[in-house]
Amino acid sequence: MTCKDFEAQLDAYIDNELPPAVVGEMTEHLDACAACARSHERQLALRRALTQHAPALQAPPGLRASIRQAIRAQIRPAATPRLPEWRWLAAAAVLVGVVAGTWRVATTRARAEALTDALLASHVRSLLGSHLLDVASSDQHTVKPWFNGKLDYSPSVYDLAGRGYPLLGGRLDYVANGAVAALVYGRRQHVISVFLWPAERGPTAGPATVTRQGYHMLHWIAPDYAYWVVSDLGSTELREFTQLLQRADSAAARPDGR
Amino acid sequence: MRERAHSTIAEGTLAPSELARFEALVLPHLDAAYTLARYLMDNDDDAHDVAQEALLRALKYFDGFRGDDARAWVLAIVRNACHTWQRTGRSHPVAVEFNEELHSGAVGDEHPEAALLRAADREAVRGAVAALPLEFREVIILREVQGLSYKEIGEIAEIPVGTVMSRLSRARRRLARALSSVARERS
Ligand SMILES: [Zn+2]
Repeated sequence: MTCKDFEAQLDAYIDNELPPAVVGEMTEHLDACAACARSHERQLALRRALTQHAPALQAPPGLRASIRQAIRAQIRPAATPRLPEWRWLAAAAVLVGVVAGTWRVATTRARAEALTDALLASHVRSLLGSHLLDVASSDQHTVKPWFNGKLDYSPSVYDLAGRGYPLLGGRLDYVANGAVAALVYGRRQHVISVFLWPAERGPTAGPATVTRQGYHMLHWIAPDYAYWVVSDLGSTELREFTQLLQRADSAAARPDGR
Repeated sequence: MRERAHSTIAEGTLAPSELARFEALVLPHLDAAYTLARYLMDNDDDAHDVAQEALLRALKYFDGFRGDDARAWVLAIVRNACHTWQRTGRSHPVAVEFNEELHSGAVGDEHPEAALLRAADREAVRGAVAALPLEFREVIILREVQGLSYKEIGEIAEIPVGTVMSRLSRARRRLARALSSVARERS
């Protein structure tokens, strides 16, 4: 390799864009030729200067917020009655294969579809690695307080590690125009998302099961919360898990606590 | 004080699953989008506005995106938005002071020494980058700041890979010259 060849390919060399065979020749020339070694050193010095003084930047919070707002504006269906966010979620949830209330069934069913869609999407998205956990901890006393000030309710978080369902953490998710708590539990390599939000106090119901794209979704209404559990775990185990949650809920609701 | 760019998108045009896909695929690259906009525009305000406009455009046309490289896709939209802004003169007066004499690089053909580059400080580096013509600046930012491959850069800037390399090479020569001339001035 001549110095001219070396010089012509130096950029591609430092950018890792050359085929391995050429890289070998370049490296050989570099070891043998002091002048080209100086050129190479100069390029690396320039790169260091850029890395140090022209770094990647973070988007300003205002920009992030306005994009998120635009996304939420897209979700809002036209002519939706203005209920507080989680109230219509609760209303829609009641209708999913459980109870037909006094709500207009057609619109509510469409919303229920949209809700299962959104919850499943949230779960799948979390698995894609972009947003699995905002708070990663197996300690319920770390995860539960994390939601303080972020939601107008405090989700129940339980330690089910002893039963083979360790707590992994939680995240704040936007589902159908509202912020909801998503708790994440594990079972072997499977991830379970538990979504919950305040339910109208009323008759308890469920669980009802929906299966979509290989994911099981279990839904029920406890006295205080509407629950959705989403996972690719087998339905028998997922049912066992929901029973553990329900039992923990009833235990917590007893006046003497625990 | 000035007005922010306004969103012109229609509401409720994408399915929830598409929006979730947008959040999962595109939003993780918001920092990269802003970074590119900030280096291609002359000040923070323009960068914010052009990045916002580009992201809303991306959201609007997201149902047409079927590729596997969302980062390159969104960066291409940002890059085009920056070019449009620069062309139509919507940008605001240049905030980076640029001293033509200082950066003109009349140093002759000798290689600037690595030591001079090592001495370059933040102001000098940013100034030298800002002084690059847009088509050189974008390849430098995409490569050195964002670590993209020649192929990705070529797709974003709509140029062949060979042109990516020659522009990078020329951009680096200009930067090295500008930085070592700054260093010489000071020593
Ligand atoms: Zn040589």
